[in-house]
Amino acid sequence: MSDLDRAIAQLRACRPIPESDVRELCHKAREILIEEGNVVTVNAPVTICGDIHGQFHDLMELFRVGGDPPDTNYLFMGDFVDRGFYSLETFLLLLCLKVRYPDRMTLIRGNHESRQITTVYGFYDECYRKYGSANVWRYCCDVFDYLALGAIVLGASNTISPSAGESSIPTTPEGDEVEIEVCNAQGEVMSRFPRPNNGADSDVQSRTNGIPPPSNTGPPGSGASGLSRGSVGNPAGAVLCVHGGLSPLIDKVDKIRLLDRKQEVPHEGAMCDLLWSDPDEIDGWGLSPRGAGFLFGADIVKVFNHRNDLSLIARAHQLVMEGFKEMFDASIVTVWSAPNYCYRCGNVAALLELSEDDSGLGVLARSNGDVNRSNGGAGSSGGLGEGELQPMKGPARRYRVFQAAPQDSRGMPAKKPVADYFL
Amino acid sequence: MMAHPVPHHTTDKKRVKVYELRNNDWFDRGTGFCTAQFVPVQENQPKEPRVIVESEDHPDRLLLETKIVKDDGFQKQQDTLIVWTENNVDMALSFQEAEGCAMIWKFIDGVQQTFHNVLGGADDSLSEDLTMDMSNSTFTLPPADLANLPDLENIMRQMSNTANGREMLVKSIMEHDIIPSLGNLVEMAEDLESLDDLFRLCNMTKTMLLLNDTAIIEKAVSDECVLGVVGALEYDPDFPKHKANHRQWLSNQTRFKEVVKIEDDTIRRKIQQTFRLLYLKDVVLARILDDPTFSVLNSLIFFNQVDIINHIQTNGGFLNDLFSIFADPSAQHLRKKQAVTFLHDCCAIAKNLQPPARQNLYTNFLGHGLVRVINFGLCDHDVTVRVHATDILVAMIDHDPQMVRHTIYRQLQERQKPLTDVIIDLLLVEVDLGVKSQMQDALRILLDVAPIMPPDAREYPPNQQRLRQLQSIDPQQELLIQHFYENSAARLFKPLLDLEGQTELKFQPMQEYIFGYLNDILCSFIRQHQHRAKYFLITHSLAQRFVQLLSCKQKHLQLVAIRFIKQLVLMNDEFYMKHIAEKQILGPILDVLLRAITRDNLLCSACLDLFVLINKENVKDLIKHLVENYREKIMALSHMDTFREMVSRYDQTEGYTTNPEYFMDEDEDEGPTAAESERRPTRPTSGLMEEQLTVDQAQEEYWNGVSDEEDEGPQNDSHRTNGTATTLPLLKPLVEYGSDEEDGVAGDEATAPAKKDDEDNSAKSNGEPPVTPTKGGPAAAAAVVATPPERISEKRRREEDEDDDAFDKLLQSKRRGSNASAASAGADIRKKMGISEDDGPAAEGATIEDNGTSTADRTSPNPASPLAAATAVTTSLSTPKKIAFNISSKVKSMLGGGGGGKPSEPEADPGTTTTSANDKAQETSITMGATTALGKENVRIGQREGEEEEKKETSKSVVQEVEEEEEEEDPNAMKD
Repeated sequence: MSDLDRAIAQLRACRPIPESDVRELCHKAREILIEEGNVVTVNAPVTICGDIHGQFHDLMELFRVGGDPPDTNYLFMGDFVDRGFYSLETFLLLLCLKVRYPDRMTLIRGNHESRQITTVYGFYDECYRKYGSANVWRYCCDVFDYLALGAIVLGASNTISPSAGESSIPTTPEGDEVEIEVCNAQGEVMSRFPRPNNGADSDVQSRTNGIPPPSNTGPPGSGASGLSRGSVGNPAGAVLCVHGGLSPLIDKVDKIRLLDRKQEVPHEGAMCDLLWSDPDEIDGWGLSPRGAGFLFGADIVKVFNHRNDLSLIARAHQLVMEGFKEMFDASIVTVWSAPNYCYRCGNVAALLELSEDDSGLGVLARSNGDVNRSNGGAGSSGGLGEGELQPMKGPARRYRVFQAAPQDSRGMPAKKPVADYFL
Repeated sequence: MMAHPVPHHTTDKKRVKVYELRNNDWFDRGTGFCTAQFVPVQENQPKEPRVIVESEDHPDRLLLETKIVKDDGFQKQQDTLIVWTENNVDMALSFQEAEGCAMIWKFIDGVQQTFHNVLGGADDSLSEDLTMDMSNSTFTLPPADLANLPDLENIMRQMSNTANGREMLVKSIMEHDIIPSLGNLVEMAEDLESLDDLFRLCNMTKTMLLLNDTAIIEKAVSDECVLGVVGALEYDPDFPKHKANHRQWLSNQTRFKEVVKIEDDTIRRKIQQTFRLLYLKDVVLARILDDPTFSVLNSLIFFNQVDIINHIQTNGGFLNDLFSIFADPSAQHLRKKQAVTFLHDCCAIAKNLQPPARQNLYTNFLGHGLVRVINFGLCDHDVTVRVHATDILVAMIDHDPQMVRHTIYRQLQERQKPLTDVIIDLLLVEVDLGVKSQMQDALRILLDVAPIMPPDAREYPPNQQRLRQLQSIDPQQELLIQHFYENSAARLFKPLLDLEGQTELKFQPMQEYIFGYLNDILCSFIRQHQHRAKYFLITHSLAQRFVQLLSCKQKHLQLVAIRFIKQLVLMNDEFYMKHIAEKQILGPILDVLLRAITRDNLLCSACLDLFVLINKENVKDLIKHLVENYREKIMALSHMDTFREMVSRYDQTEGYTTNPEYFMDEDEDEGPTAAESERRPTRPTSGLMEEQLTVDQAQEEYWNGVSDEEDEGPQNDSHRTNGTATTLPLLKPLVEYGSDEEDGVAGDEATAPAKKDDEDNSAKSNGEPPVTPTKGGPAAAAAVVATPPERISEKRRREEDEDDDAFDKLLQSKRRGSNASAASAGADIRKKMGISEDDGPAAEGATIEDNGTSTADRTSPNPASPLAAATAVTTSLSTPKKIAFNISSKVKSMLGGGGGGKPSEPEADPGTTTTSANDKAQETSITMGATTALGKENVRIGQREGEEEEKKETSKSVVQEVEEEEEEEDPNAMKD
């Protein structure tokens, strides 16, 4: 058994690993994370999770419901630490899994993965309490700086995959194609929603009247977002995952790739917005009551998704009592994975499963490095008629809703008392 | 009848409106405060449960006094209403808060239930409980022994549910000495192995501690009771299979260490008591503490600590004994270590004290020789001692860096090794990364010349701010920094300097970290120490050393190097730009980018970030340097906007040697700056492009005679200009600060004669009075007029917002028109240059007369300019959109921030109308949609005001409280 596997086993038992191991782990994690772009490309199938907030036992419950890593491909959208009693064990376990299975775990940064925030909301104190010094906190904060800012999920299917025990692709009782399926923690289907029919088209048209489409000729080099339609042949369109939301400074996904992310989360600017913003029922942009980031409305999301060939934005950052909440005609979804948040909010949690598209159509990775791909993709740009802002067909989504782990599985949180005291 | 039958806290009173149903209409009888309690009516009679409302305006008047009778049919409706029928009149109480309603209702409901119970013949123990609970009469707890435990537990739980009950419970717990008896009970139950009783005892103890009463908690941690209390808490029914060992932990008296004997008994007891309180808070009760008990515990701890610290620092003899340990060569090492730990604990506690008290303590400590202690601690081979010494030092620096600086200054006066040197030594060799990074912070702060600015201000230091700092440097601080650069800097940066000449870079893992720290330190020095940092950087070729890091294989070290270069670029300082260009520093970064570009990794993003910055800031020296020297590499990257822009920017300005302003300045050497500043603003805003960046600085530097590209003196400049002009016509002018506008159009004019008129140049070089170039004059004048003066900081903001977009669009349209690859576009541009040289005068006229057209002309060299012109118009129209947006956000902030603001529209109107006039501009109108929706928005905000306001209030007041949407997480608030 390697050191890493031993560390994983120990952390799974919710016991912290020694400081020297943490240092080594963080060192390894840095090597891996430095190779990731600001926007990581992830291929479906993938299970997307929202905030965890140090609720270690609920994370175990999440793994029980969603499948154990590395059998399930996970994408965590930040806020691993703070508030809960086990931020340390939670983050270290996720980091261990990331180092052990780099391709099966994706961690992106949340607004709580920051020195300033963790000193106020618990992670710093917890590290100090559990190790008697802040070193472990420092190591972790250094890793925070290397975490990616977002992820793009490619190759998601627009038909729901059969759940366990089913042989064929499930349909609604009326025989329609299923777009959304909600399951409980035992995997039983609680409800299914059919994909809206073509009637949506006129709907879309009327909704977007007065908003001319964005330029169809994206500048080269912004390939993914311009004319390349980088995911040619990907039936469901790409899904952008980010902790908070959009930024007025980021009109194209490629702009995110131009940020030097290795820094403390700033108080303003694109990087801050990505981690702090929230969707809201407004038009355009609004000031955020959080004091950082912005509020953005449906029009912003639609334009952004269209410009970037996205079918959906998945984000976390806001508590939703039902665990997930789709907004703006399912163009953005909030996923929340901390059940009974802060051990008292009484909410349920959810994770979002996107299944793999098995049609075999190619998936193009997107990055700044692809020279001339804008030209290469130019031919397919005629897909959308001028004057229409038609959303991409969204991927089929299966939400698994789960509740907090039972009480008796939790240990007793306590500070390690000082051995000797002088005062 | 008494007005105040029972004393109660004002918080117990519930604000309420009393209503009475008259003629099917609810009549408001007034607003008042409601209480519900048992009221003695007559002597020797049982008390009656009553609901009483005292008037708010006239406290003596009772709005309502009603006896709770079982037939009245009290009902609770919704959350804030209680209704009943009294003498056939329908009555209602409408509470302000649901909580208040719930409390009163609880009482009424309880009373009503007793009626039912009596009626139903059930045993009346419940009603008795309730009576006891509510009444003012003393009640007796059963004697505390094992047999009574179930009763005791029950009673306690019930009583603790109401405020009055808790008060009485506290009283009788203290009277009956329940707490001291816990120890015996636990032991007895343990002997009997009666787990149930132990669980009961645990529950009781929890209830008692959570009663949130100072007296009880103090009693619980007293010497005689504490073991019984924690003993009871060892058996938690929530964890039936676990048993804690609190007693064992606390009974170990040897844990309390006294380095120097504390004579005062009360203080010693307080120290032990505080330890127990902390143990209770952090370990025993950590899981179940509620906020009130938590704060009671904290305040008990706090007041104890204040007393302890106060005692220590006023006790001169004690302090002398303590500090003399470090002077005594015979003292045991262990004793010294313990003394460091003792001081560390003092400083840790001091962090919670009021600043004046803290100040006293530190001054006192410093007076007794704390620096020696820190020196000792930092050099100790035991890592925990170093950690503690570091904490002491950092605590003092956090409190007041100036205080520590004074100390170092004194050390310098007395020719001692200054603390900064000790820190440097430790920073270089320390293996504990925590200590290392704190040393780095400490050093940075101690050598900081100004109060620390907020991080964003530090990133972009406006010129003025820097000037002010320079003026306000304290002479002591100046000396300190001087000493640092003369004696210590080279040692601090030795790991970097040692890189010189090394070709294979290999580091131990521990060594690697130092570069990150040195980079942080150096970046902060560059921001703070102006000329000293510059001088140091140049003499030691630090930038080249960082560049060396680019060649090592550790990516995070490459990142360090890139960040350093970025800091230099951010400084926006002519001097550094020249240095970067001269030392060919960007080339290796380009190489890194080219290697990384296919990977899309952090390294790639960091490089791109740097080049985007250079392009956005339009750092001309660097763009010129890049394109001239690395054209191939840049072209290889030209599928990205940034690099394409760089090339086109360069190509547009290529081909003329002298900056028009150069002539201007030569022209009027009595007061060129004044003359220019008068003239410049006359031209309306032209600023689509961001060319004016370095104008001011450039002039300054020129007149100070600093601006020399290589290490030649200023007098050689024009010679060289001459040389380049004749031999290398393609090379750029010596001083090149002008805007593209000048360069693209008028500049051509200016430079052409410059090349021809060798006489003019040689005249200049000989130091003779400058001669106005015959043709260049008017052109240059026009060009200067064309350059509005702008502060860099202001500019930057606008650029970020819109100019970039504008440029994007222009480029797009250009491409659409030309349908050429980037490379051939470059060729086009060059060709165009030739043309524009020919029809210079015409272009010049255009510049002066029509701003808009010339802009289009300039930025899209391709003759297919109608399209480009159209785009230019579009872009110029994108300005109102921004304004509109700003206004809309301003209005929103007014509404949101003020909470009670009314929708106000007039301000937004101009923006709206301007934009709607141009709704064909694609991008513009999307945001315009938002703008026109502004009115709607306002109305909507008005509607939402209620909820918003509520949210905001909570977010302000309750910081710790969990909110649904975490709204309290305001990073700005955390700046404080």
